[in-house]
Amino acid sequence: MAEEKSENIPANPVLVVQEIGEVGENFFREVGSMFWFVVHTLDETWDRVRQGRVPFRAASFFRHTERAGVDSVPLVGLVSFFLGMTMALLTGYQLQRFGTERLVPGLVAIGFTRELGPLITGIMLAARIGAAFTAELGTMQVSEEVEAIEAMGIGPLRFLVAPRVLALFLLMPCLSTISNIAAIAASSLISRMYFNIAFVYFVDLVREALLIRDIITGVLKSFMFGLLIAAIACYRGLTVKGGAAGVGNATTSSVVTAITTVIGVDTLYNIVYVVFFP
Amino acid sequence: MTTPGSHVVELRAVSMNFEDKKVLDDVSLQVQPQDRLVVMGQSGSGKSTLLRLVLGILQPNEGAVFFKQFEITRLRRRKLQQVRRHIGMVYQYSALLSSRNVRDNVALPLEELTDKSRREIDSIVEEKLHLVGMQDSRELMPSELSGGMRKRVSLARALVLDPELILFDEPSAGLDPVISSVIDELIIDLTEKSKVTSIIVTHEMGSAFRIATRMAMLFQGKIIEDAPPDRFRQSTNPVVVQFLSGSTEGPILEGTQDAIATK
Repeated sequence: MAEEKSENIPANPVLVVQEIGEVGENFFREVGSMFWFVVHTLDETWDRVRQGRVPFRAASFFRHTERAGVDSVPLVGLVSFFLGMTMALLTGYQLQRFGTERLVPGLVAIGFTRELGPLITGIMLAARIGAAFTAELGTMQVSEEVEAIEAMGIGPLRFLVAPRVLALFLLMPCLSTISNIAAIAASSLISRMYFNIAFVYFVDLVREALLIRDIITGVLKSFMFGLLIAAIACYRGLTVKGGAAGVGNATTSSVVTAITTVIGVDTLYNIVYVVFFP
Repeated sequence: MTTPGSHVVELRAVSMNFEDKKVLDDVSLQVQPQDRLVVMGQSGSGKSTLLRLVLGILQPNEGAVFFKQFEITRLRRRKLQQVRRHIGMVYQYSALLSSRNVRDNVALPLEELTDKSRREIDSIVEEKLHLVGMQDSRELMPSELSGGMRKRVSLARALVLDPELILFDEPSAGLDPVISSVIDELIIDLTEKSKVTSIIVTHEMGSAFRIATRMAMLFQGKIIEDAPPDRFRQSTNPVVVQFLSGSTEGPILEGTQDAIATK
């Protein structure tokens, strides 16, 4: 079988092009359906607001914010703390050779607020909350609960998706900030212990290096990541097919897609940022 | 041809394909007010598809579906959602929201779709749960209920907005004969007391003949018999005869994997 294939491919360049085309087509179709998924969710929610009713109950929203946000604080804080220490140590020892270890505070602070804070938080939330959203909605889809909601005349996108997306959208920046603070605190410890930078001096160095626009960039990014992760997770959940195995596949796919998208979009964002707003 | 609106439900030349398989083939059907139409057929013959078409969850490949004067197949989302409030659906596996208790499940349509106060909602929920005999299970989660209890809660949820039409997907499947009779009696009671129309999909003969005021048989995507129960029982259509007798000899299995397996 494998031999047959390896003979086939060079003989049929058309097939190769066709396969690449199919992969590309599927990719764009996915991106398109996800885009419309978000648009329809907004539309359904807006429709509801225009009727003068609350789009979803506050209790439902706060349940998700608590689970996605408050319960994620220890994980995000701890991981960022360790990463902050590592980064301070590694860069510190290199910079020490040139006698410029007082660049460490600025380096960690800028690195985290602009880049690593949102990114690490995004990756962790995709794994922790994205997976949960997909599994939950997927199970509801498989057990016909989603269809039952729709059959009652309740918009499932507004009822199920909107509170989740909004919760993650609003909480991502908060969690990124926690990540930043944890990392900077960790690097201040390392700076004090190994590079003899006093805490007061550390704060001065950070304030000197860190620009408001670094912070804004990071926060904007976080909003975007929150939206992406929640939308991907909910989309994958509601499009589950094929029972328990389907839910498993969708969950894996949700985490993989969300992490890849977060890193990809981050890169794109950085390129645009550096090229257009140097 | 009658004007739309004189029937509660009307299917006009509806065809439905799932990929290559033709599930419904040019089906036309009218349901009069206060009918209890039982749709029978083999598993996978498109019975449940029929219910989903009425709800507008599936779109037919051809033809039109009406609920009263509304053409379900052409309604926009917002209007469709409004129309669905007049239709109740009881799912085969109940489809209760597993994260909410019985009270919250039944209250859901009221909370989401009406402006009623909590007190009013509570009293309606109480009334409907009483109707199905589940008033003592208010605080239980769906996972703590048996299949029959779930189905009754699901029925209470379908009734909570006082629908004009109720759709039942296999109401007695997987239930013991006694509970199944209880559900059947509930269905009859409801339509007689509250003037509701219902479409019931089932392949359980006993309950079908108990409930029905009219019976239809789906076979290979077409309605091959449509009659009141007493005439349905005397049908000479070989498919109906075989279905009623449960025999392995006859047109139903011809050419299928099952037929080959029995030989």
